[in-house]
Amino acid sequence: MSINGKNPKATDNFLDIRVVFTKTDRARYISHLDLYRTMQRAFKRAKLPIWYTQGYNQRLYLNFGLALSLGFESFCEIMEFRIVDDIPLEELQQRLSKVMPEGLKIVKLYYPVMKMKDIAFSDFSVRFVTENPQDLQKSFDSFISNDSIIVYKKNKKKQLVETDLKPHINLLSSTIEDNVFKIVLRLPAGNTLNINPTLICDKFISEVNIPIENVYYTREKILSVNGDDFI
Amino acid sequence: MIPSKIEKVLLQVEKPSQYIGGELGSIVKDKSKVDVRFAFCFPDMYNIGMSHLGMKILYSLINERPNYWCERVFAPNVDFEKIMREQNIELYALESLEPIKNFDFIGFTLQYELSYTNILNMLDLAHIPIFAKDRGNELTQIVVAGGPCVCNPEPLADFFDIFILGEGEEVNLELMDLYHDMKKRGASKSEFLEKACHIEGIYVPSLYDVTYNQDGTINKIVPKGNAPKTIRKRIIKDFDNVYYPDTFVVPYSDIVHNRASVEVLRGCIRGCRFCQAGFIYRPFREKSAKKVCTQVRDLCENTGYEEVSLASLSTSDHSQIEPLLTELIQYTDKEKINLSLPSLRIDNFTDTLLEKISGVKKSGLTFAVEGSNQRLRDVINKNVSEEEIMNTCRIAFEGGYSSVKLYFMMGLPTETDEDILGIMDLAKRITDLYYSVPNHPKGRVQISASVSTFVPKPFTPFQFEPQDTREQIEHKQSLFANNPHKNLKISYHAPDTSILEGVLARGDRKLSAVIYDAWLNGAKFDSWQEHFHFDIWQSAMEKNNLTMEFYASRRRSYDEILPWEHLNYLVSKDFLIKEHSKAVNQQVVTKNCRLQCSGCGVNKEVGRACFEY
Repeated sequence: MSINGKNPKATDNFLDIRVVFTKTDRARYISHLDLYRTMQRAFKRAKLPIWYTQGYNQRLYLNFGLALSLGFESFCEIMEFRIVDDIPLEELQQRLSKVMPEGLKIVKLYYPVMKMKDIAFSDFSVRFVTENPQDLQKSFDSFISNDSIIVYKKNKKKQLVETDLKPHINLLSSTIEDNVFKIVLRLPAGNTLNINPTLICDKFISEVNIPIENVYYTREKILSVNGDDFI
Repeated sequence: MIPSKIEKVLLQVEKPSQYIGGELGSIVKDKSKVDVRFAFCFPDMYNIGMSHLGMKILYSLINERPNYWCERVFAPNVDFEKIMREQNIELYALESLEPIKNFDFIGFTLQYELSYTNILNMLDLAHIPIFAKDRGNELTQIVVAGGPCVCNPEPLADFFDIFILGEGEEVNLELMDLYHDMKKRGASKSEFLEKACHIEGIYVPSLYDVTYNQDGTINKIVPKGNAPKTIRKRIIKDFDNVYYPDTFVVPYSDIVHNRASVEVLRGCIRGCRFCQAGFIYRPFREKSAKKVCTQVRDLCENTGYEEVSLASLSTSDHSQIEPLLTELIQYTDKEKINLSLPSLRIDNFTDTLLEKISGVKKSGLTFAVEGSNQRLRDVINKNVSEEEIMNTCRIAFEGGYSSVKLYFMMGLPTETDEDILGIMDLAKRITDLYYSVPNHPKGRVQISASVSTFVPKPFTPFQFEPQDTREQIEHKQSLFANNPHKNLKISYHAPDTSILEGVLARGDRKLSAVIYDAWLNGAKFDSWQEHFHFDIWQSAMEKNNLTMEFYASRRRSYDEILPWEHLNYLVSKDFLIKEHSKAVNQQVVTKNCRLQCSGCGVNKEVGRACFEY
């Protein structure tokens, strides 16, 4: 069995396994902390030989790549766990899928190629439900073409700092379908810098006069530094 | 899936996951195939109600019937309630996300008196008329209640159609079967209630008239028509084989007791004279060790919980507790599951018991001492000697515990200031013991004492006693403040909530109007410090020409007709009178049921002795 462990203190042999899963429908309202608990119990139900952290208070080891805001949907959430026995990936996926609660589905399971710290970007689609999608699209076009978009963002020390989002925003598409105006944004994500699409959209909504019924955020993709898919 | 009206506001409130359902283990049915819908309403928030074992049992039990559907409902937090009222979102059940006003049964569990205003609030949020008489005669929307406070439900009599006395595993289904049958035949609500009152354990309050004397005490409780004169509680005779769920609904978010829970016994042998639960859950019945282990295994495997707790009134009184724990710990150790053992008695805590639970995460030991000296403990029949207390603390200290939590009560009958100061003395003796134990843990010892205010409860020998007045309570609490002790942390709380509890616990039907007025004026979540407003309750009492003293701090004579006189919980009033006299006049104890039958009346009602002697 090959050893992929990075923890120098580990005395067990283990394999790192990365899981891509969706978080949709009602599962959108599970907070990030609760997600850990939810996964913890799912693993227990699956009775998989999972690696636990060392020490007196042993916990199931789970590493989430990125946190997802409460209320967001996602088709590409990432978490890593460690398996102590070499079980074929297909079987792992099957056993885990059986015990997942509603709204959390396993898309794929694989041996990680890149490291979590290689995560650099995240693609979000934002759907504005409105009676007037055409006007909203026009307003957004002019909003996004401003030289600067200033918001107040909390830095790592939890202080509010003035930040210009403009250089970080990459608008991939802007479309209309029925009463929905949809944009896809590529934003920085990961250890260095994280931009939440709500920062941009909340500012936009506050400046526009068109009534918006609802806004839905979905994470569509996670990418590495070169813009390649994160794997 | 989630109605858009609700979805739009979910991100405006705290912890939205409590309002959406869809948790693992929750049961969603096709409503077109369902004949009877039951809304199980816990009158407090999700994170409190989801720990309630009774709901879990009845939820699974009812849902085993393919054509019955039981769904869960909890009280919304104030932020969500505000939005619900503004946006006209009616109170809904979590499984179907549909308003409960159209359900067949709306059931509440009466766990504690301070939850009563939440019941009214939930009915109001559900757009169900609060008073039973305003709900019409169509056979639907039957508002029922079960749980411990049903042993005196009189203050809520005006709001409920049915109270269910005792253990619910059989009677709830019998009630639903009768309903289903009569609904098919086009019966009216009143016809249904007249039939239902003949099912054992079913109490229909509207079929009883209560008249009062000049002095406010009860003159007579008279059944109407052929309603039974008294209503007897239900018990499950075969406790080992009674239904028990093999899975629970697993919440996403953290709740108060987020773990698997298995009942190991019902009833209690001790007969502590202040304790209502010990009397209303008689007779004592054990579950076999084998059954307990099977149920623990099933639950943990189906839920994935990493903690399991054994539930009962006094777990160490289980006759097979040590072999049970041995087998159980083998399983929990292997699966890395934490085993929690609340409700251990201080007088049979052995080092074998400690050794067994010591492998588990040390969360501290808690013991209920209740009275600081032998005289007082004898009065309340807490058969624990000073030697046993010290011995148990020694075992704990030698076993590596450096902190011990002790529960006390104040306001007990015959209590004096010396008894209160005795709490500090006892703490000092335990502290001295700690330092005298040769292999005690490093560091200081921390003794915390939690002193709650005694509330006399129905169906106990002390149901005749007056509760301490506010002045008496505050005086006793000042003794703590004026006599601090360096290793002892004493906690107690303001008397207001205890006094209100004292009023409602032994209240009568006249209090229905008070509860309604209090709710109308904003009383809600009364058990939560930040939401409790005593002045609202005072005004409500005044408005209805009643006093708190009449209910809380008045001594009852033995021949007074008490509001629960027509409810039979198998323990005879004569026995309670005898016990009361033994307590306050002779200050002697009654042995526990295993050692000697005290003649409480249960064996006569049930038809056989509780134990072999």
